[in-house]
Amino acid sequence: MGSESFGGASQRSVENLAYRLRRRQLVGSRATALETLLVLRQVVSKARFSNMEQLVEIIRSVGRRLVEAQPKGTPLVPAPTRYRAHSQTNLPEHSVGNTVRKVLHHIREEYHTAIGTNAASAPQTFSIAKFVLLGQPRQHTAGAPKAESNAKATLRENDPDDPDSFARGLKPVLMEAIQDVLDELETVYDNVSKNAKDHIHSDEIILTLGMSKTVEAFLKSAAHHRKYTVIVAETAPSYGGREMARSLSAAGISTFLVPDSSMFAIMSRVNKVILGAHAIFANGGMFATSGSLIAATAAQAHRTPVVVCAGQFKLTPLWNLYHEYGALDFGDPNSVLGFEEGDLVDKVEVVNPYYDYIRPELIDGFITNDGDHPPSSIYRLLKETYDDEDNEL
Amino acid sequence: MAPKSSNAGKEKLIDDEEEVLQAVILADSFNKRFRPLTARKPRCLLPICNAPLLDWTFESLALAGVQEIFVICRSHAELVKTAIKESKWSKPGSGIKIVPILTAKETFSPGDAMRDIYTRGLVTSDFVLVMGDLVSNIRIDEVVRVHKERRKTNKDAIMTMVVKESGARHRTKARGDSSVFILDPETSECLYYEPVSAFPQTTFAHIPREILADHPEVEIRNDLIDCSIDVPSLFQDNFDYLDIRRDFVHGVLTSDLLMKNIHCYVAKDGYAARVKDTKSYESVSKDILSRWTFPLVPDDNHPGGHVYDHERGNKYIAKDNTVVLARTCKIGNNTLIGSSTNISANVQVLASVIGQNCNIGAGAIIRNSYVFDGAVIGSDCVVERSIIGANVNVKDGSEIQKGCLLADGVVVGPSAKLKPFLRLSKKPEEKDELVSDEDEDDDSDLEDLVSLQVSLAKDLGTDSNALVWPTAPEEDADDDEIAKFKNERFMRLGDDASDLDYSDDGSESSLSESESDDESDSDADFTVPSESLPLGLPDGSPMVESEFQIEVKQSLERAFAEGHSVDNAAVELKTLRMASNVPLTRVREAVVGAIVDKIKIVDSGVVEQRKEIAAVIARWGQLIDRIGGVDPVETVSALQAHCASSQRLPLFGQILAALYQDDIVEEDDIRKWHRLPVSRGEGLKNKGDVENFKKCWTVGSHMIKQFDEQESSEEEDEDEEDEKGDENEEDKSKGANQAKKVQKVMEESEEESEESDGEPNTSPAKSVSVASAISPNQEATSEEESEEDEDIDEIEEVAAAPTKPMVEDVRVEEPIIYPQAIATPQITAPSSTNASQQNNTKQEPQEESEDEEEEDEDEDEDEEESDDGMPKKPINSVAGKPDATPQMAAVPQPLQASISPETATILSSATLVADESDDESEENSGDEVSSPGKEGTQITAAVAPVTPLAPTSKQETSEEESSEEESDGSDGASASTNALFPMGTHNMLPTEIALAPPFAKPESSGEESEGDESEEYESGELSEAPAVKAAALVQPLVKDVGKAAGSSEEGEGEETDEEYTDAESISDGKRDTKIATAAGSGLNVGVVKDV
Repeated sequence: MGSESFGGASQRSVENLAYRLRRRQLVGSRATALETLLVLRQVVSKARFSNMEQLVEIIRSVGRRLVEAQPKGTPLVPAPTRYRAHSQTNLPEHSVGNTVRKVLHHIREEYHTAIGTNAASAPQTFSIAKFVLLGQPRQHTAGAPKAESNAKATLRENDPDDPDSFARGLKPVLMEAIQDVLDELETVYDNVSKNAKDHIHSDEIILTLGMSKTVEAFLKSAAHHRKYTVIVAETAPSYGGREMARSLSAAGISTFLVPDSSMFAIMSRVNKVILGAHAIFANGGMFATSGSLIAATAAQAHRTPVVVCAGQFKLTPLWNLYHEYGALDFGDPNSVLGFEEGDLVDKVEVVNPYYDYIRPELIDGFITNDGDHPPSSIYRLLKETYDDEDNEL
Repeated sequence: MAPKSSNAGKEKLIDDEEEVLQAVILADSFNKRFRPLTARKPRCLLPICNAPLLDWTFESLALAGVQEIFVICRSHAELVKTAIKESKWSKPGSGIKIVPILTAKETFSPGDAMRDIYTRGLVTSDFVLVMGDLVSNIRIDEVVRVHKERRKTNKDAIMTMVVKESGARHRTKARGDSSVFILDPETSECLYYEPVSAFPQTTFAHIPREILADHPEVEIRNDLIDCSIDVPSLFQDNFDYLDIRRDFVHGVLTSDLLMKNIHCYVAKDGYAARVKDTKSYESVSKDILSRWTFPLVPDDNHPGGHVYDHERGNKYIAKDNTVVLARTCKIGNNTLIGSSTNISANVQVLASVIGQNCNIGAGAIIRNSYVFDGAVIGSDCVVERSIIGANVNVKDGSEIQKGCLLADGVVVGPSAKLKPFLRLSKKPEEKDELVSDEDEDDDSDLEDLVSLQVSLAKDLGTDSNALVWPTAPEEDADDDEIAKFKNERFMRLGDDASDLDYSDDGSESSLSESESDDESDSDADFTVPSESLPLGLPDGSPMVESEFQIEVKQSLERAFAEGHSVDNAAVELKTLRMASNVPLTRVREAVVGAIVDKIKIVDSGVVEQRKEIAAVIARWGQLIDRIGGVDPVETVSALQAHCASSQRLPLFGQILAALYQDDIVEEDDIRKWHRLPVSRGEGLKNKGDVENFKKCWTVGSHMIKQFDEQESSEEEDEDEEDEKGDENEEDKSKGANQAKKVQKVMEESEEESEESDGEPNTSPAKSVSVASAISPNQEATSEEESEEDEDIDEIEEVAAAPTKPMVEDVRVEEPIIYPQAIATPQITAPSSTNASQQNNTKQEPQEESEDEEEEDEDEDEDEEESDDGMPKKPINSVAGKPDATPQMAAVPQPLQASISPETATILSSATLVADESDDESEENSGDEVSSPGKEGTQITAAVAPVTPLAPTSKQETSEEESSEEESDGSDGASASTNALFPMGTHNMLPTEIALAPPFAKPESSGEESEGDESEEYESGELSEAPAVKAAALVQPLVKDVGKAAGSSEEGEGEETDEEYTDAESISDGKRDTKIATAAGSGLNVGVVKDV
């Protein structure tokens, strides 16, 4: 529907991204988020629209296309509409959808500021029943009265004389909004780790696993202020832990690399478990690299706090509702059982999930670029970050 | 296709592409293994996991970053074209440009197709060449990058093949269609390729010896799956091959003319396999379902664009909620069910793929089967390991046993009982309008089949419209066809071929070595005699060869008559050889033959005859080495063979001497030839030939004996030589003198050999001595270079000819050069003993006695000659041999260089000893060696390639006392290493390499003492290899020093015995190293030497 409204070049870049996502030529949630943003920026800059609905629809159609490009099925349900039967599928790179949602949110915000109306001001009556549906609790106070007068004159939707005038007027603002999102993405590691020294204390022993850029930045940042020890689990079969250990010890942090199997045994000496996340869900649970569940469970047994470092773009307005297994992404058995084991290949079924689903009960806190939050308040963050109507693209 | 945007900066991140990566897909399999499934559509459109194979291939390439694909379609080209047009690939944004290319029906082979690509000029740079049935997730762009990188430095690297490591046995590795790769682990250059067939079972692979000689480390592997992903550079001139692997790769690698390299990319990660037969269809399906091809899996990136839900146990159910699964049905692991399919109650679907819109009746059981779209399986049917084509109707109660192929639209049943491996297609009468675009040959095939039906069509059920295809070749099929059929059984779905497996191992294996299965990969239609590429194969077809011989003869006659230059003649021969595709050996034989025939038999006297020979050899001899490869041993053999069968037999010795003189053969080569059992006439049928061979061989033995004697005496001359490095002017005259001597000896030898036909063992020895006389002469002392320059004019060229490098460094005591002739014991002197003790390896008993006899005879004549002015060669001329022979010389040279310091010292001390004794006993010997170290290295350098030098017993006997103390000393020095290496012949021995059975550890089956070479390869310790080699070479010398010391008292009985056994052990005489490839064996390689 929106595809005809944006030009051929944009169309191609959308398709190009879709194929790359599909072929796993683009992996990593931040990288995908960045690429998505670039595509969106291109689309918006080329798009022709004469009112807000058209613009939103264009962006949504792009989002839909990108999300569908990854047919990785999960029974995840969009948070507020989970009672509905749906054919919407989820994707391994949740950050694509999240980015689109975020852009939509920002665009709407800019639009409202420009138009001068506060769309969210309608439901003024507070009731506990409407609490969940109440979006943007913080924005209510800000901005609204200020922009009212000056913008209204310049922007006219659906101007019959000059259909492009709306777009012309709004585009600079939109580009700025997208640029904001981009900037946020680019500084996400710094922002996540700026409070690192408040979380890690001297002589603590930290356990982590996998190769998460966020965690890496976080730990390195803490090392500027504190002297502490990190134990890294190897994290088979990707062995990202080895890379992490190398990087950390290169940064001068005292680092131990242990096999995954010894995680439980070591846990009694660990002060804190710091994990990365692949996607954080509305209920406060998350997907994280496989092995994280062992770590979290072991930590639970030893009452060791589990802290998750993640950028806000990983917040996903979905729930892992039905069963956990199907939500996961299964990779190539090659890394578990070598292809050269010809005799076994025939007889053994190899399962190589990329991610573990970690229940919110196992997590003590999230450290994001937008402050620290307990799992129970993730839903609030989601509300602030995305618009409800975008939960299903 | 790159989005051209004004906003280039912004787009840069999205699509930054430098160069378009191109791929060519051969969408024709050029064989018919899938028939009858492929009767009406090309193989590349067969569905696998519910998407056409071609789409999988496209997706594989897209995954690898390919942006432009050319699809070469031949059969059913229109179908392929339409399929491409309708696929998602032609939509904008797919990021790939796909161009179907229809080629003519005359395109019968990949070679033709490549020619087509080339003539169209579509491909602009290095590209990816794949078959239209590839499923892969390998990053080919990486391969291309590596390839391009390599091309920058090595223009001859024309192709990179992608191979995938698999185990010894693997479901995806077809047993009937695997291959042996020999790789250089450092450069990953593919040194040799040989296809392996399962029937007749290939148990040996021939590996050219040069490979082992040239590469310190090789990997011999048959655990590689050939993915048929190639990254060729544009090969512009070589399109005449049937199969890229068997013909093109094998041809390029075995050709010494092309001088091109092919490299392998051993993919450690990733998956790549071809669906080349029904068996691999099954295994690739299984691999896809168990996610080896990730991200190319049904639930993630299904090429057909279907969406599947992945459930525990790798079950994939179409996600559009159209699949109806009865509550009581059982879906097993590794199963894929397409959309709108209806699975009724109590159905079991296990490890199978069910297409779209299928209907499975109640109670049916489908195991390991592949059911295409729209098929209907009736209730209570049983389908096992079969492929059911699209819209097939299997009526109720039918049973389809393993390996059946049911083509599209077949109806069987009710209650049909299909035997295993039955192939059914629809009867032609019921064919609809499709007939018109059908291949003509298909039609004729079908018609043939109709006639066969009566006998075969039973148990198909009353409603059947099926046509049964024959399961086995007809009775009158020739052996090749049967073998081919049996081999293809290994590629057949569900056929474990257990009845064939190993059943006739021993008897068949030897056959299979050379036959292999040239044709198993090509169509009956396209079958072309395998002779098209026998480069390097031991046996080409006799007819082609005889024609070739004639051609060569004519060509040379023209050259002789018109006085072409050697170079021109060589070019002509090369072209000829390329054209008729014969092994180098044949060319050599032909050239040697022609040259020998060119020599006129002169009756007027020995001298005239000699002149004639010298003239011819000087004019044309170099041609032998210019024909594309240098193998002097073979040259001698060819000469022998030719002489033995022609009337020029008496000339053998002279010609050989002339060849030696012109540096076409070296002393070493003569020795090697001499050791070959064939040279003694072994294994020859014709009795007369055997006789003649023996005669020639005896001539050779005498020549060698002379070499030995020179060797020993040369040492003494060394320091004298040092003094007179500058006496260049005299060289010529010396050379002349020496050549004259040669002639004299020759004369004798001719007389001898003519007289003594009956007893070749004793008499012809002298004729050999001629050749050996040459170089030592040139190094004689100054005292001897006085007079007798009469023959200068005649022989000047001889003197100018470069001398043998290995001879020059060794000091030679002149008189000893002609042991038979000169026999001056007082001069032969102590030094010779030491020298011989160092160098001797073998001495044949009869030679000893001969020596003594001949000494007496020759003494008188030779004594005058002994005073001849002997030119001395400057030491620098060691490098004087321009045409170093790559094949044989390649081995010793690196070894020489790496001889360890200790051995050098041992040798040098021995030389020193020799020097001292020289001084004592001879007034004419030169100064004592000033620097032992330098001397030592000289000696080693010289001696190493000459390893098997035989001492002359008479020297020993005469010098026993004087040498005793010294030899004791060296004995002690070498005692520790003594026992290790009995023979210095390690690079001569045919090496047999056995591929051990799977899971066996590599074992060297050779004894330790013989294992010098094998150990090297096994140990894989590169750094040690040269040292080991060096040791291997030097050990014999060292040992012999010890031995000689011992035997100076005991005589040399044992040693001569040893020599004989050794010579016989080489008697297999085969050039090629053998590799036993137990089918399915891993990369475990043991090197076996038969001694």
